Amino acid sequence: MTNQQTTIHPLSSPIYKLFGRRWLWAASAVAILALLPILVDTSWVSVLCEILILAVAASGLNLLIGYTGMISFGPAGLYAVGAYSMAVLLVQADVPFGVAFIAGPIAATFVSLIIGWFCVRRTAVYFALLTLAFSQLIHTIIFKWYKLTGGDDGIVEIPVPEVLFSIEHYYYFALACTLGSLLILWLIVNSPFDKALQVIRENPGRAEFIGVNVRKYQLIAFAIQGFFLGFAGSLLCGFSHNVFPPIANWTESIHIIIACLLGGMLHFVGPFVGAMVYILLDKFVTGFTEYWSLVLGIVVIMLVLFFRGGIAGFILDKLSAQRS
Amino acid sequence: MLATQGLMKSFGGLIAIDNVTFEVERGELSSIIGPNGAGKTTLFNLLTGHLQPDAGNVVFKGKDITGLPPYRICRLGIGRSFQHMNIFPRLSVFDNVQAAVLSREGKFTKIFAPAKDMARSETIEVLKTVELGTKMLVPAGLLAYGDQKRLEIGIALALRPALLLLDEPTAGMSPEETAGIAGLIARVVQYQGLTALFVEHDMSVVFGISQKIRVMHLGRIIATGTAEEIRADDEVQRIYLGEEL
Repeated sequence: MTNQQTTIHPLSSPIYKLFGRRWLWAASAVAILALLPILVDTSWVSVLCEILILAVAASGLNLLIGYTGMISFGPAGLYAVGAYSMAVLLVQADVPFGVAFIAGPIAATFVSLIIGWFCVRRTAVYFALLTLAFSQLIHTIIFKWYKLTGGDDGIVEIPVPEVLFSIEHYYYFALACTLGSLLILWLIVNSPFDKALQVIRENPGRAEFIGVNVRKYQLIAFAIQGFFLGFAGSLLCGFSHNVFPPIANWTESIHIIIACLLGGMLHFVGPFVGAMVYILLDKFVTGFTEYWSLVLGIVVIMLVLFFRGGIAGFILDKLSAQRS
Repeated sequence: MLATQGLMKSFGGLIAIDNVTFEVERGELSSIIGPNGAGKTTLFNLLTGHLQPDAGNVVFKGKDITGLPPYRICRLGIGRSFQHMNIFPRLSVFDNVQAAVLSREGKFTKIFAPAKDMARSETIEVLKTVELGTKMLVPAGLLAYGDQKRLEIGIALALRPALLLLDEPTAGMSPEETAGIAGLIARVVQYQGLTALFVEHDMSVVFGISQKIRVMHLGRIIATGTAEEIRADDEVQRIYLGEEL
């Protein structure tokens, strides 16, 4: 037997293999997020929770929009399936919190497999409209199925374990869930599976003739985004302790899509950055004007016309241009 | 290796492929020539599942592949390059070829393993074969036209096909580039023991490297033979009247 060197070279450690030189950035970001509740006011901790929830939803959706090139207009439907599944199970079936929490994303995955089966049979604008139609269908069901969902009254006073009752505690719970989600998504977007999604985005016809079953992979991507949208829905349900039909409406879809667009769809951190900027902009602008949607409209126009890569795209492209 | 029997395809009133029956033997480098609109690309699309024939069938390695979707035909061992640029423009040259290797090896189903170093040596080897070894990190869409054509052939080769179909691999190229690509195809076919069938417009390419030539006109194959036999064929001469054969 040869005498093998046992010390692990820093460049071959698992963390380095996973993140490359970015690990330092990732570690700093996690440290800042962990320290924030100590540094800011309690009312801001609730804003941070909103950011995390939107970040999970947008990052999940981005697997479909950014990585597979399928523009969905209906993320809110799946988001609501997650939130409502958890709420109904907790209030009406009295199941344990942990089970209900996991049931949200599982239900959303199941629903997205059904919806996705139809949607991936169409492309581009027809795909987008189908996703919108299914999402509105879910909205209508939630709105009208009074017995199960409480219709317009929503589901209120959802029981949450005592330990998660304080906003600080819930923030750390949501942060752990968010980081876990992002880690899984990071593994996915660096895997061979994601290469298949990328070749589909770039050229579906050619992808098929390197042997990719395009629809199958599109459906899997659709189901994965459904899982993370449902997961974000569960996080929302645990955060706000009540759910109302508007979370299934198309306006909610717009929030999630804009978070992707704002941050940059072609970068992994884009949706997170987008969620952060979007929520902060919302809180900041509504503080001094009621015309929030006017500001939002201008932001979207500027993005589409001048910053197609979004905020993260703009910054990262500048940085890489500087380096080379 | 590949045989078609009575293939028919029409678009509306236009008969694009009219009762085409032919056979490609293992190890053969052969070609299909014909004027514009002869049905060459349509024939390829029927072979690769991009179009369904109205009648007739396609048999590959003894298996009837008529009506199978393109990705299944690809996995059975037919590789194809396309007439119009057909690469993954925003991915790097390396990623373009690596994707094809990963697909062939059935690794696309791996969802949590890092892809970065997978199939590295084989990808580089293919890129060297098509003389793109120095441009691996360039986004494919930024390559010069001739290099994009090379990349396309590289993607097809990375699938290690038993049969390689090349649709006008030198279309739109300068004479020097054309000679380069023709040489590349001849080399690759010889070294890798491939069977290759290509359709071409450029006579010099076809006569230079094909062992067997088929001439298509108005959806039919009107002549089959060696370069000498095709040159001497009266009907071919009539169709290509005015062109130097």
